[in-house]
Amino acid sequence: MSKKQKRISLLVFALVIAALLIGVFLTGNSGSKGESIQELMQNEVLHETNKISLFGLIDVNPGLISAFLVTAVLFVFALIVRIFVIPRFRNVPGKFQTVLEEAVGLFDRLAKSNSPHRNRFLGAYVFTAGTYIFVGTLFELFGFQAVTTQGISTALTAPLSDINGAIALGFLSYGVILVGGITANGLRGLGRTLKEFSLPISMSFRLFGALLSGALVTGLVYYYISLSFVLPVIVGVLFTLLHAVIQAYVLTMLTALFYGEVTEIKHNPKTSKRAAVPAAGDLTANAIGGTKQ
Amino acid sequence: MPLNIDWQQILLHLLNFTILFAILYFLLYKPVKAFMEKRKQEYEKREEETQSKLAEAEKTKAQYEQKLQNADKEIRELKEQARADASKAAEARISDARTEAEKLVSRAKSEAQKEHDEIVASAQEDIARTAAEAAEKIIAESTSQAYDSFLASVERSESHDK
Repeated sequence: MSKKQKRISLLVFALVIAALLIGVFLTGNSGSKGESIQELMQNEVLHETNKISLFGLIDVNPGLISAFLVTAVLFVFALIVRIFVIPRFRNVPGKFQTVLEEAVGLFDRLAKSNSPHRNRFLGAYVFTAGTYIFVGTLFELFGFQAVTTQGISTALTAPLSDINGAIALGFLSYGVILVGGITANGLRGLGRTLKEFSLPISMSFRLFGALLSGALVTGLVYYYISLSFVLPVIVGVLFTLLHAVIQAYVLTMLTALFYGEVTEIKHNPKTSKRAAVPAAGDLTANAIGGTKQ
Repeated sequence: MPLNIDWQQILLHLLNFTILFAILYFLLYKPVKAFMEKRKQEYEKREEETQSKLAEAEKTKAQYEQKLQNADKEIRELKEQARADASKAAEARISDARTEAEKLVSRAKSEAQKEHDEIVASAQEDIARTAAEAAEKIIAESTSQAYDSFLASVERSESHDK
């Protein structure tokens, strides 16, 4: 291709792009044909009208459908991994095995380092919660469509940007901490957990707020066609990828931290006395041995 | 409810999460963790075995070194022993030879003495015999004067012997 031909093709490309852009802006605000921006924002937050029928039984928020889909996807993934990958694990891990081991080991270490006692269930719980938040938030990126009861097509949001999902996970985490505290320390553990009564609310609304903000900003950006060229990439990365990592980390970290706090076995005088006796015996034995020597 | 909070949906979310927990725990978390645990134990066991084998090898090495040292010492001792034995034997032989020589010398001396005595005795007998012969001759030839002079000569020879 000669230089001249190159220049011509480049010019044609630029002209086509310019013509398309002009056309796009001239054809006007296509978003206004559906919902207005106010309605869209309100729906994102409250889901008053944008409901989806769940097998024709009840009308639910799109977040719940997303949650079921996330579970289904993870189920298929886990089943494939369990059947095809795990039996072929080797002592020197390959790439995929390293990722799996690192994911499990990360949450396991998180549980162990924050809660030295009773961390077996906690490890499994934070692993599930972390995976759920991470995958659920990334799920938003795919923008799977669903039809609402009003016949409008809507993109499925992250399960936790639905306030019900966020409340469920926040209170469940609190419940796990509560049960851990009671089984480890009885009434003392119960008291210690109840002292943190604001924890379930803060955890629920932190999740809800963080993920909803991402959904809102993304919705806003996509609503105005002039904003939807390069910006969504940045917004998507900022509010989806980062939130996926940060929120998964924050919730699991907080759960592990409080769980470790309430399950910690405080040395009451009885046990410390019992522990002190053999130590004193050792000392005297050493002293006797020393004099003998 | 404010904020469109719906208990039924919260419960559905909880149900969903519980199912997800079971799925992830039994299909992913547990087997992966079990595998990691198993591998860890395997490596620990291997490490332990290596350590014990190493310690054993060290021990054997030390034993062999000890044995070698002992052998050196033994060899040195044996050599010294042999040298001491040899010198002792030589000394014994020398002293034997010396006593033998002394014996020989003393025997020779005593024999010489004996011979000397015998010679002296036989000489005396000879002298006595010659004297007797001479005396007989003199007696036969001369008088009592000669007898007297002969007595005096005998007395002189006896005192000379003593």
